[in-house]
Amino acid sequence: MSSLQSHPKGAADSAVRRLGLGAAVAALLVFTLFPVYWMVSTAFDPKALTRGSDLLPSGVTFDHFQLVFERGNFGTYLLNSVIVGGATILAAALLSLFAAIAVARFRFRFRTSVLIMILIVQMVPLEALVIPLFIQMRDYDMLNSLLGLSVVYIALSLPFAIWTLRGFVATVPKEVEEAAYIDGASWPRMFWSVLLPLVAPGLVATSIFAFITAWNEFVFAYTFMKGSDKYTAAVGIYQFFGENSTAWGPVMASSMLVTVPVMIFFVVVHRKLGSGLAAGAVKG
Amino acid sequence: MTTVKNKHSKTPTGGGGAPEAGDTRPAGRPAPAPAHPTPDTAALRRRRRIELTRPWLLLAPALLVLAGLLLWPLIQVGKLSLQDYEVKFGGGVGTFTGLDHYADLLTSGLLWKTVLPNTVFFAVACVGLTIALGTLVALLLNRLGTTWRLICSVAILAAWAMPAVTGTYVWIWLFQPQDGLFSQLAGAIGLIDPATTNWFTERLPFYAIATLNVVHHGFPFVAITVLAGLLTIPKELYEAGMLDGANAWQRFWKITVPTIKPVFLVVTILSTIWDFKVFTQIFLMPGGNGSNPDVYNLGVFSYIEAFAKNDYGMGSAAAVLLTLLLLAITVVYIRTLFRQGEEEL
Repeated sequence: MSSLQSHPKGAADSAVRRLGLGAAVAALLVFTLFPVYWMVSTAFDPKALTRGSDLLPSGVTFDHFQLVFERGNFGTYLLNSVIVGGATILAAALLSLFAAIAVARFRFRFRTSVLIMILIVQMVPLEALVIPLFIQMRDYDMLNSLLGLSVVYIALSLPFAIWTLRGFVATVPKEVEEAAYIDGASWPRMFWSVLLPLVAPGLVATSIFAFITAWNEFVFAYTFMKGSDKYTAAVGIYQFFGENSTAWGPVMASSMLVTVPVMIFFVVVHRKLGSGLAAGAVKG
Repeated sequence: MTTVKNKHSKTPTGGGGAPEAGDTRPAGRPAPAPAHPTPDTAALRRRRRIELTRPWLLLAPALLVLAGLLLWPLIQVGKLSLQDYEVKFGGGVGTFTGLDHYADLLTSGLLWKTVLPNTVFFAVACVGLTIALGTLVALLLNRLGTTWRLICSVAILAAWAMPAVTGTYVWIWLFQPQDGLFSQLAGAIGLIDPATTNWFTERLPFYAIATLNVVHHGFPFVAITVLAGLLTIPKELYEAGMLDGANAWQRFWKITVPTIKPVFLVVTILSTIWDFKVFTQIFLMPGGNGSNPDVYNLGVFSYIEAFAKNDYGMGSAAAVLLTLLLLAITVVYIRTLFRQGEEEL
């Protein structure tokens, strides 16, 4: 854009501009990544507690991770989180795919109302749900059960999954479906052989997001899971907090174990979901 | 995404007997019987019935789950807020008390002096800073070359992906009294005495740290959404603006903002909804789990009343209040979406 006006001051002007741009990029990178760096470097620092304002860790040790697994039972918590996340993925993917096909491919009465209702329930604060669901789960003896927690997460991840998948289904051209019908395929056959493979990338991205929802969730896991062997990873970190002192090495080590998978997943799916997220937000 | 029109399923074979009008007729209306019954009628009627029931069959499982786990609990929390609920062995017992909890809640000094101001000011600060920072970052990304844009995008994604729980722990650790990095730094330049200063005990620094945490986690969504909007603005608009001698500031307010106003509206409303119901980030901070009533927000207050004080009725009343607040914002959100004209659900 600046090339439009090529007056003599241009060179100095663009040098200043480049410098400003560089400073802004540096500030952005520091702000976004410094907490991540501080978490990782504390997790490996043998003198985590007393590092104070030392930017570099005093060494590299795996002691904190060892403690987290051996004394903190963190392997069990990670496994619990994987189980709950896996159950959430399976159910949420299936249910949201069916629902997304219904709202993207069919016109029917109350279709818009259904979509708006799904949008509205997504806005409900978890604090309003946790009280009645706690009482309900207690009455059904489902507290402290991974299944009970999974069921809640399925419901929590459904609205977003339906709205996102709706977009993916809508981008599959109708002609592809019609071609399958002309070849004599029934609807279920068309679904398995044509529609499902075509929306698979979207389905994977949406499922990963459902997994992240379950993996990160705190309120329900903290309220429902009272036996320490049923903690999920997000709740399990809490135990390293003491009344007066906190073991920051183990806290940061376990935090890192929780955070890194999410970051990897997020970067992997962001291209797929990024556009979907933006489009979903911009266009509803 | 909405460019593909989702007309309802055409009849597979496109056969001669199928009335083409079926596509334009209001959805869900059964087809009128053809004037001259043909041998096709039975099959046709069957096909129509399938088209009417299939979407609902597909929707049913999801709607059942949503109704059972989101809608029904909402009704229950409304009911609970009108009761004194006691947990007894083998099930709870509710005694109807009418609007007593609401009367208590709305006349309590704690609500008006602490809980609501905390909730509202915190949300306003978070939304304002999130939108401002997100927009600045989007403008920055828009001016970068491919490589640096990718690098910055990945960094932004890292901040976005940071789970609320672990992100909060990192910020606590950074501001930890005595040992934390920022406590040490502030002590080194003589701003505070690290041995005696605890940033978490007072309302203002507590919420300043929480704001930093929430903005760090929330601005990536705004940045990426606004960037998507920026990329749709035709370059010619800016060139015309430059020819007219508009500077960057004027170009932003006179061209960028009006052109992608819907994007700004949507990210603002969504951020408002999210920032009003922040819970985990407050609850996990020192004193946030109920030991320091000064830092209650509406969500934490509701949770503490219900689960720490076993006053499920009062907790529910606060939860209903929060839900109504969010519902009001949501209604504005949905009306905004629809006012965008091109929107087709």
